[in-house]
Amino acid sequence: MMMIHVPRPKNAFNPNRPVSALLKAQMEYLHEAEKRLPLRYHSEIYINAVKTEGEAAKYIRHVTEAIHEAHEDAAAARARVVPKRKRVIEIAAVADEAGERRMRGRSKSKKKGGSRGPKK
Amino acid sequence: MPPGLDKLQHIVVLMMENRSFDHMLGSLKAVNTAIDGVTPDLSNPDTNGNPVKAQALAEFQAQLQPDPDHHFPAVDLQIFGGDPNRVANMQGFVKSYFNQQRDVGHSQKIMYYFAQKDLPVLTTLALEFAVFNRWFASIPGPTICNRAFAHYGTSFGRVDMNLIYINEPFKSIYDRLIGATPKHTSKLYYYDTTSSTMEVTNLLENQPELFGTFPQFLDDCAKGNLPDYTFVEPNFNDHESDSGEEVANDQHPDHNVQAGEIYIGQVYNAIKNSPLWPNTALLTVYDEHGGIYDHVVPPACPKDQFTASANDTGTGLPFAFDRLGVRVPAILVSPWIPKGTVVNRVFDHASTPATVTKFFLGDYAPRSPRETSADVFIEPNSGAVDPARNLLSLDVMRTDCPDFDV
Repeated sequence: MMMIHVPRPKNAFNPNRPVSALLKAQMEYLHEAEKRLPLRYHSEIYINAVKTEGEAAKYIRHVTEAIHEAHEDAAAARARVVPKRKRVIEIAAVADEAGERRMRGRSKSKKKGGSRGPKK
Repeated sequence: MPPGLDKLQHIVVLMMENRSFDHMLGSLKAVNTAIDGVTPDLSNPDTNGNPVKAQALAEFQAQLQPDPDHHFPAVDLQIFGGDPNRVANMQGFVKSYFNQQRDVGHSQKIMYYFAQKDLPVLTTLALEFAVFNRWFASIPGPTICNRAFAHYGTSFGRVDMNLIYINEPFKSIYDRLIGATPKHTSKLYYYDTTSSTMEVTNLLENQPELFGTFPQFLDDCAKGNLPDYTFVEPNFNDHESDSGEEVANDQHPDHNVQAGEIYIGQVYNAIKNSPLWPNTALLTVYDEHGGIYDHVVPPACPKDQFTASANDTGTGLPFAFDRLGVRVPAILVSPWIPKGTVVNRVFDHASTPATVTKFFLGDYAPRSPRETSADVFIEPNSGAVDPARNLLSLDVMRTDCPDFDV
């Protein structure tokens, strides 16, 4: 089995490199997505003022993470609705139990010759 | 059924940025004459009319500044050389690069290609597995519309970098897979959230669960958890992260080519060292040529159902998507591929959704005219298999595949 040596780049890191047409296009795509997010997820970055890769990277990260966060928050909100529904069912169940207790009480009172009839 | 196809369960595509076939793999002609690389007679005229030879003088960084023009009108000049009769001749690369700086000496650098020793990962993979002599960009234009072909099999009529509004009825390959019955799995792995994804922001916006990061890709490989179809994206920008400096590794000029070599090696190693190696095929391909010289004339192809207007192309002529873009490097890796395979059939990026769809879903409609006419690089795993077309053809899995110290 061959092990191939791969040289490492030297001094390649340059976040001050002018932003390319490709990164500008990527930012414009993300900006369109950002505009459709709720306001609380928006960045305060004006993309036309972005001049370097490092600045572009900050914006790209913000919007990408905001999209994930917005979806996670929405999923969590949906999940919070589920126990609420359960509680309604529980309340309904309690209501049923209360109704049964009332009915039992009424039966008893009827047996006792109570005067209150069911509400109409 | 050949065992390589029978065992195949995962297809992975790694799409790099903006380098031509001759620029990256042209040197291999000297090693294997079946590879359609650079020969000593290849040249382009400069603006003084002097021939400029293709030479192995490419550098990893700082040579191609400014970024060579690869928008539609510039690529038109590169392919047709300004010929009034519009006969494609690949003679306009130096002229096109000259237009950016009006510097004759600098414009000649567009003809430079890498020596084999400079690209140990890409050239080793090309020589060890299957290299495609005729894989072309889908459009003679820039990144975004070409990447769209890899995801949708069409660019919906776009030839530029503007926003692509996704139109029904052509679904992305990811939507086709996860919406199928029985359901298939699919994921796009971008490098990290600071690099994010390119072109498919609409998918990120509406289906972020389709996306993962490169560390998650490595973890999924190690645990044998890769989806049926995986699309891997490189790091598109230089940025700081929690682990330090992240150098762009997409190889887009003027990003460092060695950083991309390491990335390709990491993707390959992750698959090779995973339990999925016998069941996985990896395609490494470049989205377009980036304005850099290649000598093969892009062929005509069946047109798409869209037409770009003369105004959109910027050439004064409409474009019916009936010609492919400039040739790009493409290599298919699998332990079932014989060493030194060279493929001469014509492919473009529409071949990716075509192949993945046919392999996992069989017949599927609707797909774009360009996709339905695109060739597949992996034969469908049903019915009779034509041995002449099957690249995963070995009866016994190879155990001599290389490793990279990345």
